Amino acid sequence: MPDRSALRKLRSQVRGTLLTFGLVAITTGVISLIIFSIGLTRGSVLYVIPVMIAAIRWGIVPSLFAAFCGVLASAYLFFPPLYSFRIKDPQEVINLILYVFTAVVVSQLATRLKRELELSRQREIDLRDLYAFSRRLAVAFDVSDIHAAIEDHLASVLQRKVVLFAGAREGTAAGRRKGSAVPAQVQAEVTKALSAREAAAAIVTGNAGETWLVRAVSPKSPEFGVIAIDFGHASQASVDELRVRVDAVLADATATLERLGVAHAISEARMRAQTDQLREALIGSVSHELRTPLASILGAATVLSAAPALRNEKKLKALVHDVRNEAERLNSDIQNLLDATRISSDGVTPHLEWADPADIINAAVDRCRRRLTGRRLDLNVPDDLPLVHVDPVLVQQALVQLFDNAVKYSPPGSRIALAARARDGRLVIGVSDKGAGLTDAEQPLIWERFARGDRHAANTSGSGLGLWIANAFVAANGGKMTATSDGPDRGTTVAIELPVTQKAVTQLESDADE
Amino acid sequence: MSEPTPIVLIVDDEIQIRRFLRTGFELNGFAVHEAGTGAEAIHSATLRPIDLVIVDLGLPDMDGAEVVERIRSWSSVPIIVLSVRNAEAQKVQLLELGADDYVVKPFGMAELLARVRVALRRQSRAASGEPSVKIGPLTIDLAARAVLLNGQRLTLTPKEYRLLQVLAQHAGNVVTHQHLLKEVWGSIHVHDTHYLRIFVRKLRQKIEQNPNSPKILVTELGVGYRLAQAEAETGAWAGAAAPAKTE
Repeated sequence: MPDRSALRKLRSQVRGTLLTFGLVAITTGVISLIIFSIGLTRGSVLYVIPVMIAAIRWGIVPSLFAAFCGVLASAYLFFPPLYSFRIKDPQEVINLILYVFTAVVVSQLATRLKRELELSRQREIDLRDLYAFSRRLAVAFDVSDIHAAIEDHLASVLQRKVVLFAGAREGTAAGRRKGSAVPAQVQAEVTKALSAREAAAAIVTGNAGETWLVRAVSPKSPEFGVIAIDFGHASQASVDELRVRVDAVLADATATLERLGVAHAISEARMRAQTDQLREALIGSVSHELRTPLASILGAATVLSAAPALRNEKKLKALVHDVRNEAERLNSDIQNLLDATRISSDGVTPHLEWADPADIINAAVDRCRRRLTGRRLDLNVPDDLPLVHVDPVLVQQALVQLFDNAVKYSPPGSRIALAARARDGRLVIGVSDKGAGLTDAEQPLIWERFARGDRHAANTSGSGLGLWIANAFVAANGGKMTATSDGPDRGTTVAIELPVTQKAVTQLESDADE
Repeated sequence: MSEPTPIVLIVDDEIQIRRFLRTGFELNGFAVHEAGTGAEAIHSATLRPIDLVIVDLGLPDMDGAEVVERIRSWSSVPIIVLSVRNAEAQKVQLLELGADDYVVKPFGMAELLARVRVALRRQSRAASGEPSVKIGPLTIDLAARAVLLNGQRLTLTPKEYRLLQVLAQHAGNVVTHQHLLKEVWGSIHVHDTHYLRIFVRKLRQKIEQNPNSPKILVTELGVGYRLAQAEAETGAWAGAAAPAKTE
């Protein structure tokens, strides 16, 4: 790299010199014009102009060159004896001294100014980087966000490819982004550095002969991880020079990280992740444990309700009925918790198959039959709906959540409608109620986990998980959900949209029937 | 059930579940044996004649699938499995291993009894070699290869008939997609569920009063199809016949 920059410097010098020569020529022309048209004799002082321009633009060498050319030109053209470089007039000597003095002073000034300008620009960039960095740290939610921020910051300050590896627990590259792969040798060194827990720096040569530096970001704070920096193809001398710079930058960065309390933020984020895990595990095991006794309660209640001994005991039968209903409600809440745990811990893997939307809708209606008692359910399901390639069980469970919500948030006895249609390569199944509707403020919030409208907190039970679960299940099938409402108390329509590959379907029709 | 008292073997490690099942079955005229582990169940099934086995999948000593497989190795006794939700793949596996049906926990007694009766009837039909299956207005005469709807003979394509025939052989019980595809289209098509969807749609147009809300050929999402209960199962059990209702 340094040879290239020297070359660039030389090239700009040469260009400056050539341009200077041009400027001197132009000045000579202007002076001749003045002398011959106006009759002024002492025009040669104007040569100070190219000297100053050259000094400001291109530095001392071109400006000295300008001074020299100026003196030569005026000696040859304007001072007697004309057309000879001999100088009789001592004025010329003074001119020469003036030009040289101007060249030196102005170029020094210009250089200093330029350097200061560059410095302040660099400082501005640094500040901007630092500001962006701290802003990213402020919004970073988990450890990997923080590490990605550190990585980007170092990359922009060092102007090199930088890969940051977090602590051994996270294992892999913090950024885990495109281009964050490092050669195996470097990976091995990183692993060593991560487990060594001490700040030994190592130089590793990569596959393409490039040089990597591997070292801990901070010798004091292992949570900042280990960094691998790609030096490219650099000579030994420039590697040493770069290492010094890396040391300086990392010392700076570490100080910044410490000042910003990043170490604290990292351990906090880590703790948050652990808490989340613990919570998921707890919810998972508690709901699992609750399911078995619930199965006994529900089963026993159904045996009791059909028992001959209770045949004429209306009040007792009503009690048993309550036991059964409450147990069923509890069961569906537990199912929701289990589903939520499943979504956030393992994610949802759909078992895709070709399914008939009508089958999915019928199954959902069947499962909600008890909950829909006393409601008029309008089903509008055309009999030529295209097949969809989805996990029918997940879509059905999402639909059940929609029915559940429709029942929950609309007055008893009011109408609930389901309409399915295929349009623009999508299958849309919408469930509409005549109930509470949505305010503009509620609209964007309903998809969030544990979302509960303030209007309903007092008089409707629920965990706020239903739509979140439905949305996750639909998304796992490549679909999306929408909710529309004309406003509070004017009903809600929640719709599931699933992709339909029309071409595949028509082709399927023909090859099934051979 | 005017025949001698049917005997049911309940295999579950939860004593509370066994207790309500015992009461429920006894109230409905069954005799009950219990087993708390898989080994006990297999031992018990070899000791005395049993008409039906109910197996919970979460046994402490062995996988429910193993219990099904081992009992199936010598006996054709109907087996109903107590499964959990979101376990479609497991249900399919158990059905393939020879279980007759499944019920998803938690379930109501009525739902389980409906499944039990279907399984018992199928067993007795198989024993007596009865040649026709009747589901509501639909009669499938397996001997004459004829399908009648309200007494009118229906014209079915060979594949449609084959599909109905396989389902009729298991009338009332779930038949998995894989099984149907293998029987109707051959084993290389076991994953082409769209064949089934398209043919079931065509078949429903011919046999169902409202093809969009089928009452005869019903879908078990993610598992397979079943021909609804035969005609005696009306009244009290009709509602319970809906799949996985109290899930």
